[in-house]
Amino acid sequence: MHERLSFHIQRDSFLHRLNPLTKLVLTLALILIAFTFPWYWTPHILVLIAIIPLSIVGKVFREFSLTALRLIIPAAGFLFLMQAFFQPIGEDVIFKFYFLDITSESLMFAFRNAMRVFVMVSAFTLFLVTTHPSELMSDLTRRGLPGQFAYVIISTLQILPQMQAKAQTIISAQRSRGLDTESSFFKRAGSLIPLIGPLVFGSLVEVEERAIAIEARGFTSRHVKTSLHEIPDSAFDQFLRWALLALIIVSIGLNLWPS
Amino acid sequence: MLEKIKNNFNTQTWVLIPIAIAINIAVGQIVLVLKLPVFLDSIGTVMVAVLCGPWAGALTGALSNVIWGIAIDPGALPWWPVAAMIGYMAGRMAQWGFFKSWWKVVVTGFVVALTAAIVSTPIAVYLFGGITASGSSFITAYLLATGQGIWSAVVSTSFLTEPVDKITTAMIAFAIILGLPKRTIGGYPKAQQVETEGQTNNTQMYIAIGVVVLLVLFAAFMLRNILGG
Repeated sequence: MHERLSFHIQRDSFLHRLNPLTKLVLTLALILIAFTFPWYWTPHILVLIAIIPLSIVGKVFREFSLTALRLIIPAAGFLFLMQAFFQPIGEDVIFKFYFLDITSESLMFAFRNAMRVFVMVSAFTLFLVTTHPSELMSDLTRRGLPGQFAYVIISTLQILPQMQAKAQTIISAQRSRGLDTESSFFKRAGSLIPLIGPLVFGSLVEVEERAIAIEARGFTSRHVKTSLHEIPDSAFDQFLRWALLALIIVSIGLNLWPS
Repeated sequence: MLEKIKNNFNTQTWVLIPIAIAINIAVGQIVLVLKLPVFLDSIGTVMVAVLCGPWAGALTGALSNVIWGIAIDPGALPWWPVAAMIGYMAGRMAQWGFFKSWWKVVVTGFVVALTAAIVSTPIAVYLFGGITASGSSFITAYLLATGQGIWSAVVSTSFLTEPVDKITTAMIAFAIILGLPKRTIGGYPKAQQVETEGQTNNTQMYIAIGVVVLLVLFAAFMLRNILGG
């Protein structure tokens, strides 16, 4: 069996002990405020006063900064370069190359957008690192999310690594039989079918079997299911959720306010 | 309304959705390995849409982008409405009988591509000022530099790049569904939508392949005209 796709790191911290829904609201609040609050430096400040402190409080600062270096900064940096070069705004040209130019306006614009993306991705990363997927799903199901949704999310996270491993196996197997995946465009396009075919058909024939299996375990039953594992939801959690919701509303309101 | 949504979902649908999401992602990655100039990251979405209905398709698309964003490339996250609309539109087209023969599938792919282009434009403009982190933004940038407005530049870029990708996606989904044993398909809510009309006609197939080739050539021609001009 392959490991389930999960980023969760088990630690004992304040952030880990928060209710999963609170953390989800916190994540959404960070993203929405970064994108809607009209002040230019909002996303930059959010990184300093929210994202980094949260990663320290959650005792995942080391893992978080590794992910940031490896994944988030390259993605945000690429967006920054694309926008700085291609955004045709502003007069004050700093650097010119062909029809591309960097102006101080496009530089500022690109910087803010890159920081927004940085906030979005880091907020999600922190959420995933400190929250166990099953815990989140059982909490949401308890609050009325249909169990089917929980099934879809959890089993996708389980199937995805298996499927990727299977794809790798198929690519290697077909290559060893002489399938051309490297040369001219038409050969590469032609090798699409021998690669996709086995992968897709192989996984689709399992569907009926799985359906019968979960049906037999009361998948469509309407009774309220009991849970062995209680997830705490303190008064502080509730307070925090309402406060964050108010912040989101203020931020969107200010954004829509005619200025 | 609610009944119509509900009849998209039976146990087989719920089991198919996670597999379809995994197919979207795995095939998307195979295409990356082959360095083909398409995405093909919504084959699973189209299959669910056709076999189970538009609402199931929309759900698959949206979730698949969210999971793609979480697991592989965070930049995919804001585009979930596009993926949802792709699933919804493919399902609607199938409902109207446009998934029963090769040329009809080509039409479906084209309509889905136009929808995707329309839905993705406001996201690209409002969230990224028109320039996203994808390679096709080079075209947008060029069009902007030639003095076109931001909306028309973004829309023309999507109209250039989307049809080839979405028509190929729809064709592959169709080929997969045709290749599955009838027994496997029977359990899905909208299985009757993929009963092919009469014999799978060879002429139809040739017409469809011809259309795809023409589209690819057209796109290449337009690209050269725009970029080389």
